[in-house]
Amino acid sequence: MLNLYKKELQYYLNSPIGYIIVILFVVFANFLFMKDIFVVGSASMRPFFTLIPWLFLVFIPALTMRIISEERRTNTIEVLLTLPVSETQVVLSKFFALATIMGVALVLTMGMPVSLFFLTKLYFPEVFIAYLGSFLMSSSFIAISMFFSSLTKNQVVAFLASIIALFFLLVSGTDFLGTVLPRVILDFLTYFVPQYHFQNFVKGVFDMRSVMYFVSLISIFLFLTIVNLEKRD
Amino acid sequence: MISLSSVTKRFGPPTGGVTAVNTVNFKAQTGEIIGFLGPNGAGKTTTMRLILGYLYPTEGKILVNDSDPLENRIELLKQVGYLPENNPLYQEMGVSEYLNFISAVKGADGISEVVSHVGLQEVLSKKIEELSRGFKQRVGLAAALLGNPDILILDEPTSGLDPLEQEKIKNLIKGLAKKKTVIFSTHILSEVEDVATKLIIINKGKIVYDGAKPKGSGAVGKLFKKLIKE
Repeated sequence: MLNLYKKELQYYLNSPIGYIIVILFVVFANFLFMKDIFVVGSASMRPFFTLIPWLFLVFIPALTMRIISEERRTNTIEVLLTLPVSETQVVLSKFFALATIMGVALVLTMGMPVSLFFLTKLYFPEVFIAYLGSFLMSSSFIAISMFFSSLTKNQVVAFLASIIALFFLLVSGTDFLGTVLPRVILDFLTYFVPQYHFQNFVKGVFDMRSVMYFVSLISIFLFLTIVNLEKRD
Repeated sequence: MISLSSVTKRFGPPTGGVTAVNTVNFKAQTGEIIGFLGPNGAGKTTTMRLILGYLYPTEGKILVNDSDPLENRIELLKQVGYLPENNPLYQEMGVSEYLNFISAVKGADGISEVVSHVGLQEVLSKKIEELSRGFKQRVGLAAALLGNPDILILDEPTSGLDPLEQEKIKNLIKGLAKKKTVIFSTHILSEVEDVATKLIIINKGKIVYDGAKPKGSGAVGKLFKKLIKE
């Protein structure tokens, strides 16, 4: 599996796509951070973490869209799946490679809390937990986007389907649904919404239930992707 | 050794679907080079994919080296080298990088022997996308040969190549056969005459001939035309 992981990672290291996506992500993340410091006048990491899921919404489908759809289009998936590897190994190696790239992108935004440290009091464990939440949320979005990439040979279709699915997942955590759904149903649904669990991390609360939520979301969508790869008829 | 017993593969729903392979039976022994002949859409590629466990049979039993590809797919794929139809390759990779990757996944060594065997030394440092069709085909063949597999399944190995390149690939296949089971599909009749030791003809999913290669110039072509017309 390590060889498959290296191959996937190598693809992003050897092509401009990975660099462009990571650089744009870091630039936009810095913009969100700077906007709050210089325009709003708030020296805090919280506005940044509140908006980061919306960056994931665009950048993760862009990063992930080709991961399986391109293999299907060029039929290299047949080369891969006639090597002595299982579908599970293929999917996991691709997932870990993408999670590594997203992890690197998040690490590159850590200049923000460091610079903030010189301006104001910053409680580092809280920031660390928020970063952990961001990593878990981005990984769950990668798993969801990988599933959509496994459904089609067309990268653009995979990209759009992922964006639509992630958008509904994100807005379902906002007050938007409160206008159309009864309170009882909304309260119940809230537990299934990534934003609800992510907000715990943003507040600096390390809640194992939220960790389990993201791990479950990742597992479900990776499992569905594996099932999808096993179906070859 | 490869054995297929009453293997059927249907795509789509049970009623109204397409039967790509219909009650196919044949055996392939070590040392045989089987020319798998048939018109386009006859079921050659599907049969090869079934042998590899890449597709699952709707009915019937497949054994590869006495083991079921569906039960021991990963172990079995260590013993099989496969060149898929149209030779899909990771175009962005370098030749050396690609062969190293395949070799690492197969847990195989001996890249340099395979490289010199198929004649890839001069293009090792190039990217696959920069290669001519002939060299790309050799890269695919080298990948199939890595790990010294007992069984080679080659789906139209000379497709789209010029006569000179076709000749090189044919000689390569002939040189490999002594200790291996080789199945190669083609719709080029002369290729079967030149390379195969045994002939299987498939038409509309059914095996219409399984036996020794007919002797004499043009004999394969005559037999093929006769069987396909019937």
